[in-house]
Amino acid sequence: MGMAAKTGRGRVRLNVGGRVFETTADTLASAGRDTMLGAMLDASWNAGGHDDAVDGVAEYFIDRDPACFAVLLDLLRTGTLHLPPGLPEPTLCREALYYGLLDRVRAARAGEFDGDRLRLAASVPGRAPGDGTAVRAAPDGGCCVAHGGAVRVYNWLLEERRPVYLDHAPVNDAAYLDAATLLVAARERPGNRRSDGGGVGGGVAAFSALTGDLRHRFRVAHGRQPRSFTAGALELDASSNRVFASCKGRLNEYGVGVWDCATGEQADFFYEPPGCALGDADKLQWLDNTNTLMVATMFPRTDASFLTLLDFRDDKSVVWSWTDAGTPASLEEKRAVHAVVLEDGRSVCVVNQYDDLGFLDLRKNAGAVRWSSRSKLMMASAGKNKKAAAAARGYEETCYPKLAAHGGQLFASTNDTISVFSGPDHVLTSTLRGSGGGAICDFSIGGDRLFVLHNEENVFDVWETPPPAII
Amino acid sequence: MSGGGPPRKRNFKIEAFKHRVELDPKYAERTWKVLEHAIHEIYNHNASGLSFEELYRSAYNMVLHKYGEKLYDGLKNTMTWRLKEISKSIEAAQGGLFLEELNAKWMDHNKALQMIRDILMYMDRTYVPTSHRTPVHELGLNLWRDHIIHSPMIHSRLLDTLLDLIHRERMGEVINRGLMRSITKMLMDLGPAVYQDDFEKPFLEVSASFYSGESQEFIECCDCGNYLKKAERRLNEEMERVSHYLDAGSEAKITSVVEKEMIANHMHRLVHMENSGLVNMLIDDKYEDLGRMYALFRRVPDGLSTLRDVMTSYLRETGKQLVTDPERLKDPVEFVQRLLNEKDKHDKIISVAFGNDKTFQNALNSSFEYFINLNNRSPEFISLYVDDKLRKGLKGATEEDVEVILDKVMMLFRYLQEKDVFEKYYKQHLAKRLLSGKTVSDDAERSMIVKLKTECGYQFTSKLEGMFTDMKTSQDTMQDFYAKKAEELGDGPTLDVHILTTGSWPTQPSPPCNLPPEILTVCEKFRAYYLGTHSGRRLTWQTNMGTADIKATFGKGQKHELNVSTYQMCVLMLFNSADGLTYKEIEQATEIPASDLKRCLQSLACVKGKNVLRKEPMSKDISEDDTFYFNDKFTSKLVKVKIGTVVAQKESEPEKQETRQRVEEDRKPQIEAAIVRIMKSRRVLDHNSIVSEVTKQLQARFLPNPVVIKKRIESLIEREFLERDKVDRKLYRYLA
Repeated sequence: MGMAAKTGRGRVRLNVGGRVFETTADTLASAGRDTMLGAMLDASWNAGGHDDAVDGVAEYFIDRDPACFAVLLDLLRTGTLHLPPGLPEPTLCREALYYGLLDRVRAARAGEFDGDRLRLAASVPGRAPGDGTAVRAAPDGGCCVAHGGAVRVYNWLLEERRPVYLDHAPVNDAAYLDAATLLVAARERPGNRRSDGGGVGGGVAAFSALTGDLRHRFRVAHGRQPRSFTAGALELDASSNRVFASCKGRLNEYGVGVWDCATGEQADFFYEPPGCALGDADKLQWLDNTNTLMVATMFPRTDASFLTLLDFRDDKSVVWSWTDAGTPASLEEKRAVHAVVLEDGRSVCVVNQYDDLGFLDLRKNAGAVRWSSRSKLMMASAGKNKKAAAAARGYEETCYPKLAAHGGQLFASTNDTISVFSGPDHVLTSTLRGSGGGAICDFSIGGDRLFVLHNEENVFDVWETPPPAII
Repeated sequence: MSGGGPPRKRNFKIEAFKHRVELDPKYAERTWKVLEHAIHEIYNHNASGLSFEELYRSAYNMVLHKYGEKLYDGLKNTMTWRLKEISKSIEAAQGGLFLEELNAKWMDHNKALQMIRDILMYMDRTYVPTSHRTPVHELGLNLWRDHIIHSPMIHSRLLDTLLDLIHRERMGEVINRGLMRSITKMLMDLGPAVYQDDFEKPFLEVSASFYSGESQEFIECCDCGNYLKKAERRLNEEMERVSHYLDAGSEAKITSVVEKEMIANHMHRLVHMENSGLVNMLIDDKYEDLGRMYALFRRVPDGLSTLRDVMTSYLRETGKQLVTDPERLKDPVEFVQRLLNEKDKHDKIISVAFGNDKTFQNALNSSFEYFINLNNRSPEFISLYVDDKLRKGLKGATEEDVEVILDKVMMLFRYLQEKDVFEKYYKQHLAKRLLSGKTVSDDAERSMIVKLKTECGYQFTSKLEGMFTDMKTSQDTMQDFYAKKAEELGDGPTLDVHILTTGSWPTQPSPPCNLPPEILTVCEKFRAYYLGTHSGRRLTWQTNMGTADIKATFGKGQKHELNVSTYQMCVLMLFNSADGLTYKEIEQATEIPASDLKRCLQSLACVKGKNVLRKEPMSKDISEDDTFYFNDKFTSKLVKVKIGTVVAQKESEPEKQETRQRVEEDRKPQIEAAIVRIMKSRRVLDHNSIVSEVTKQLQARFLPNPVVIKKRIESLIEREFLERDKVDRKLYRYLA
């Protein structure tokens, strides 16, 4: 900024595509040294002074669209994003990328995630054949949807990138290692077996979320022999940089595999002890405060539901477990169909096929589920009727309720609605119903967004919290 | 037919489908040339003519039009070429200028890298992540590492230069630390692995061999204190070096090298170094050296335990000599004082030099406990020491001083295994103090009792407290006696009777001597008075324990007041009616037991300055043929003359035996009580368990001998408290 800063008292004149903007060096510097504007004003690029300075005010020319620049300059000045009518968002984002301001635009678009202040931001039609199995939020606001043998990847503008295929094997689960790396767990394809035991198709692999390229395959070895396997659910432990996956081998090597993300090598394997179902697990959840992994294997995938806490330290052990196996089976019986450990790490929330919430205390073993009547879902009766009708027609219910915990709130999907429960007593505070894509088969929260995957229309809805009000 | 005619054929030209409007390849080449030129200009310090906006836009266009790879590879090649040039100029630098040149070029490269990254920011954001390339900044560092640091002409020269400079600094030269700092920071910037592999590892190896050699040299020519000083200085130098120009992570590594080479490898030799090792430091109170030794040794494995072991064996050895040296046993007060001094000395060492290390305190305590109990007279001596202090030593001392001394004594007391023996002696000595009116301070006495009580419980001190009560009651009784009987008594000798409760006092049955008739009259009046007020009691005169103040007139009318024992008074009173008496006559007249009589005559006739009697023949010892005369020529500067009893302090050998026997007798019921307590709760127990439980219960007072325990068990079996199991003879059974 050298002379310009001194003579023009920090004033800077920018000629952007013919339109002149006057601002201050401070405003432009607030973009950061790591942006085009920050670099342009840096002393190392202004050592020779400005020959074209008028009235002591430094002038720069930028060969870009002035309308978009006006929006971005406004963003730098006010920290808020105002998109004038007629200026498409992708155009603005393209310009923001040029200046290195894309992160600022993304941050200004929506407010901090709050389950009670969500609005439907977008509805993205699906195009894959077959039912969606999972939707996962990326840390940067994008997401991916697993459909059959592919994972479709969307950036935070919800533009689709190149999809990911793991030998086109049916995908069971996906997880973001970081915004640019996606882990995929897939089932072995029947009939595609190799005699050497190497196997293709199933397993766990890392892909570039940007390009869809395969980066690494996570292998499982039993007795030093590499084996092919089917991977069920995935989970990450960020603090020790490990990946967990529930695994089923062909030779009954059931259990939970552990890999080191940095080396990509297998770090451990927790073989399924008798009376626990680990290899078939629907959901894994790493608990930071107790250094344990919650493994949930739920009805109807298995005849009974099993919840297990695994401790992977020195001598691997099951530190807590619960099952409803052995309770008399009847149609009316409440079966836990999904589970989530609440954020305090002290209790597990479960939901049954009638959308009732129940709680289990993780600090004592052999407890029973405390079904909650207070948080009974509002839509329960309607859902029940529908399910009863479906059962009468004789086909299986595919969309059982699911749960998630985020920011002190509890989220439950029931039929086509997401219910939000808040506070220590989990009181229902919000109900979200989206684009009418039918029953919800999965949802995911991350990158300040809630993604909801609907079953019937193959649509996913994106919910976000609007920026704080200006006044 | 209107407007007929065959339809005009039109030639459709089908153009090839263009997927995307490709940028003219020449344009890409031209754009790259502009950017390449700019990169060179940046390296040439000639960037002022460049337009950032234009360059940024050019790079953007290349990436936008899919020439990202060309751009990236071009950058890589250009930078590689520049770095090869730079490497030549660094290689050409002569001698000492090498590092300066390297550093200057590194600064240039960093600045250039920043500017290049500015231009290529768009590529860094979009092309690099999707194509898995290394970001520009990291690429610049990697190329610098590969083409400069790892260049064969620079790599070993850089290491040698750095190590040489460090060596020169170790030898006392002043080096350019700022430059060193820049270079090591450069290695860290290139990645911790570069710093570690290309500098730190060899640095540690060279340091190890340097200190191995130097320590060998030092240990041959220095005494322990000096060696440690040097080691400490080296250690501090290395820490300082790290703080000035190495990475902070190196500190633990280099200090551990110095610790290993200079301390751990020579630990035993240092501790045991002749004339200057640990023992000499302890003897000479070299606090500074000891502190240094402690601080250095605690840094190495087993360092402190080595120090502790040597200190312990030294303490035990000197302590053993101290308590078993027959010369030292002659003066008990001196003996205990030496123990206390020894304890003070080492306490101070531990607090000043060893940072009050608990493990060292424990070692000190266990050493004292070990050697104090090697001498079975320690309990007696400690009691005598207290006696000495409470008799006279505390005159002029403040209350706090008394407390300090008593606390120290209690510390020694805690080391005693035979606390009951101490109790026995303490009782005797206290009795003497109380009866002879020689206690200086009632508060001090009571404070000592309180301390013993806190240490050993109520049982231990109840009798001692009883003695104090007796003293008080006696005082009241005597006041009452004189108040009621004053006119009856006239102006005869004043009597002061201490009424002692039997059992509370360490009285020995001794036949009363013949009291002079004047005294006997008063005594009888008192007896009548006392038994008149307290029915059912029996009074026995303990003439061996009393004292008397008598007035005597010597030659030339010199008057003196003599403070003597009751026995001495009886003897002296005989000389009111005779000038000379033989030993036999005195013995007959007084009926004082022979040993006491000899002692009392000795103190009256043989002590210079206190010889109120004259003995014939003159000699130091009393024989039964001696004759005694009133010493008319006795003179003294003092009006009051205190005549002590010879050898009143330490017990003679037979007395000692007697005390010991009494202690053993007292222990018997205690051991039996313990056995019964244990058996009552356990019902059946084998022999070894009983012995260990009894020992555990009684060790606060004394260490019972297993043989004695066995005897007590046998005695209890005889008296049908216990029986042997009929099947297993090793088992005992409690009989309720």
